[in-house]
Amino acid sequence: MNYMPGTASLIQDIDKKHLVLLRDGRTLIGFLRSIDQFANLVLHQTVERIHVGKKYGDIPRGIFVVRGENVVLLGEIDLEKESDTLLQQVSIEEILEEQRVELQAKQESEKLKVQALKERGLAVPRADTLDEY
Amino acid sequence: MTCKEKDWVVKVEMIQLQSENLDDDYYYQTYYHRLERKQAEEELLGGRNKQEPPKLVTPFIQKVETYNSVVRIAGSLGQVAVSTCYSPRRAIDAVHHALVEEVGEGDTRLQLFLQLLEVEEMQRKMSLATEEQEEAEDEFLQVLCVRKGKKLTARLLPHLAPEQAEKILLTITHHLPFLMKKDAPDEASTSSLGQGVLGCLLLSLFLELAILLGLSKGGTLPESAELPLTMALKNQFGISLLYSLLSRGEGLLSSETPLEAHIGDFETWTDTVFLVARELSQVPKALLVEPLFLPSNLLSLFCRYLDKQTVHHLEAKMDVGGSELAWI
Repeated sequence: MNYMPGTASLIQDIDKKHLVLLRDGRTLIGFLRSIDQFANLVLHQTVERIHVGKKYGDIPRGIFVVRGENVVLLGEIDLEKESDTLLQQVSIEEILEEQRVELQAKQESEKLKVQALKERGLAVPRADTLDEY
Repeated sequence: MTCKEKDWVVKVEMIQLQSENLDDDYYYQTYYHRLERKQAEEELLGGRNKQEPPKLVTPFIQKVETYNSVVRIAGSLGQVAVSTCYSPRRAIDAVHHALVEEVGEGDTRLQLFLQLLEVEEMQRKMSLATEEQEEAEDEFLQVLCVRKGKKLTARLLPHLAPEQAEKILLTITHHLPFLMKKDAPDEASTSSLGQGVLGCLLLSLFLELAILLGLSKGGTLPESAELPLTMALKNQFGISLLYSLLSRGEGLLSSETPLEAHIGDFETWTDTVFLVARELSQVPKALLVEPLFLPSNLLSLFCRYLDKQTVHHLEAKMDVGGSELAWI
C-alpha cells in the first residue's frame, strides 16, 4: 500500500538490506529496521565495509542507530545481484593494512604539494568544509 | 517496525507536507495540483467515475494546532525550540535577539553595561580590520617574491587608479629591505618591476615624503645593522627608486605648481635630502650600484641644499659625465 503517493519515504524500505553512506566516509551495510521523520535509522546485522582499490573487507558491527543528518545517501541492495561483484573480499587485517598504506601515501603527496606551493610563494589552499574524505 | 509505528511516522511526514508556507511544500503541493487537474481532464474526456486522488489524512489536525515553534522565555539569553510531531521542522534561529527590549528606563547600570559591550564590539572590529590589512600586505609581498609576481605587478601598475598605485608603492618601499634581500638571486626581473614602478606618476610632494621617510627610517632587517637607505644604494632597484623619488621631488619643487604640503613637510624633505647625501658620500664607490637610469636634475637638487665641495664629491660618486648638466 502506498502510504503517501507523490512523496519519498523510507517506509517502503523497512526490513530490506541497505547500503548507507555516511558523511564521514564510512559505508555501512545492514537491514533497515526502523526510521523516523528525521531519517534516523536503525540498522540490524550491520557491517562496515572498507574499500581500497579493488579489494574490500567487512567488519561486523551489530546494531547501529544512525542520526539522520549524518547520512549522505542510502540505497537498497539487491540480494541476488550482490554476489555479482568484481571486487575481491579480503580479511579484516589485510584491508586495514591497505587502508593505512593508502592514507600514508596520500599524506606524503599532500605534504609534497604543500612544500612545492610554499616554494613558489603561493598560499596553501585550506579545507573549509567539514566533510572531507 | 510495527504497523502503529509506521503509521505514526507516515502521519508525521504527511503533516509536514501541508503548511501555509508554499516554499516548504512546493514539490508536494505542485504534484497534487497537477494530479487533480489531470484527473479532472480525464473525467471530462472519459466520463469515468470521479476518482478521488488519495488525499492526505490529516488536514483537520493541522487546523487545530498552531503554536510558536520557538519560544523566548522572559529574561533568558537564548531560545527554546518547541518541537512537536505536528511540526518538527522548525529549528532555533541563529539570530541573536537583543536584550534591549527588557531594559527599563531607570536602569542606568544596565544601559552603561550595554554601551560598554558595544564599544568592545567596535574595538574588536577595528583590530580585525587592521589584521586583515596586514594579512593582505603579507600576501602581496609573497607575490612580489616570485619573478612572475614582479612581472605582473609591473604590467598592472600603469593601469591602476592613482590611489591604488600609491598604496602599492608605499607597500613596496616600506618593505624594501626585505624585498631587496629576497631579490639577490633574481635581479633581472626586479629591473622590469623597477621600470614599471618608476614609470608611475606621483603627483603629491606629501606622498614623496612619506615614501622617502619610509626608506630612511623604516625597520631594518634583523640580521643587518644597516639602514634600509644604505642597503638601497647597493641594490639596483633600490638606488633607481631613490634617485627617481629625489628627482621627482626636485622637479615638483622647482616647478611653479602649488603643492599641498602639510606643516613640517619641507623640513622633513630637506632632512631626508641631507640624509641621502650623507649616505651617498659615506658608501664607498665600489659598492654603489649602477641605477637603471640617472635623472639629470639630481645635482641641481643637491646644489640647492649643499655646498659646492660636497656636491663635487657626490658628483664623482654618482659618476655623472658632467657634460649634459648645466651648472647653476
